[in-house]
Amino acid sequence: MISLTDRAWSPYVAGVLIGLLQIPAFLLIDTALGASSSFVTVGGTIAGWIDPSILTIDYVAKHVTATAKNWWQVALVVGVAIGAFLSALLSGSLRRSVSPIWARALGTSSRSVRYAVAFVAGFLMLFGARLADGCTSGHGLSGVAQLGVGSTVAVAAMFVGGIATAMLLMRRI
Amino acid sequence: MSLFVAVPVGLAMGIVFGFLLEKGRVFEPGIIVGQMQMRTFIMLKMFLTAVATGAVVLAVLNGLGIVKLQPKAALYAADVVGGLILGTGIALAGACPGTTLAQIGAGYRDAIFTLIGGLAGAVAFSYAEPWLKTTFLGQGQGKITFSDLLGIPYWSGALALAAVLAAVLVGLEWWRPWRSEIGREADGDLGAPPSERPAGPRIVPAE
Repeated sequence: MISLTDRAWSPYVAGVLIGLLQIPAFLLIDTALGASSSFVTVGGTIAGWIDPSILTIDYVAKHVTATAKNWWQVALVVGVAIGAFLSALLSGSLRRSVSPIWARALGTSSRSVRYAVAFVAGFLMLFGARLADGCTSGHGLSGVAQLGVGSTVAVAAMFVGGIATAMLLMRRI
Repeated sequence: MSLFVAVPVGLAMGIVFGFLLEKGRVFEPGIIVGQMQMRTFIMLKMFLTAVATGAVVLAVLNGLGIVKLQPKAALYAADVVGGLILGTGIALAGACPGTTLAQIGAGYRDAIFTLIGGLAGAVAFSYAEPWLKTTFLGQGQGKITFSDLLGIPYWSGALALAAVLAAVLVGLEWWRPWRSEIGREADGDLGAPPSERPAGPRIVPAE
């Protein structure tokens, strides 16, 4: 039996339930699960306060407009943070620092090094995801399930890039 | 649908999504970096299960004509280059764009920096986009799916994919039971690899 206070559920149970989230996404919002567009919606909106000219770029204008799909995805990723918080709270596994694996993976326990690496990593993730037009959710969960050829190529490239970086650049955790 | 309905729906779906990512542990840097170093396969197990489930769900919904598919256009050069850059970021972040938010919710401090970096990356891409789309990275092939290429209905291709993935997952679980690779703290931290575990007091070599 699974319980809400469990520390971990089987990845198969979690995976099936995540896959079922495609039902409300397609039926209610007429879209597939995704996460990375919301970074353009939020980032573009914030950048627009400093440099309003960014809002004249069609790509940004399309993402920051007050449409259901744009802000549904922003709400989705905000919800992800709340859901993860609730789950960790219920199982008593809230974190207060960084994962112990980073000291081994980066070869230093310096917190500032980890923060700098995290910033660069976030930058690369979203630059790459927007270039590829999707991330592990949009291309991975949704694109592959829809048998998208481009999405399958993108997911393969993500794993190649991730495995090469983790094996060659990072130390074994 | 209006914004005032879409936002609460998104929030509710996100809470479920985040809850499941946390319970499935696929937000832990140890699980994600462990996958990329081929030490643990929990990320792949959850990911492929979710893809297979999504394929079955969409086979039914699309097969019955209830929903229309939303595949993304195939932009091969951008898919490869963008995918490689994204993969590099995933390994260094120990997260993907969605799970970064789950890390923040669970309390990982470094995930705030991943998020800020992510917003900066999205803004940088936005400035570059009008130029990038005029280069080879903007060359696309339209919305191509494997079912179109094979000339079969989507539902049959999707069910075939789900069946293949189910077989792969049974094999993966038989080879590496998930409970054996989750770690004592359920964070994918299995300790230093046996070959690198120091026998006595740790001596740090000068570098």
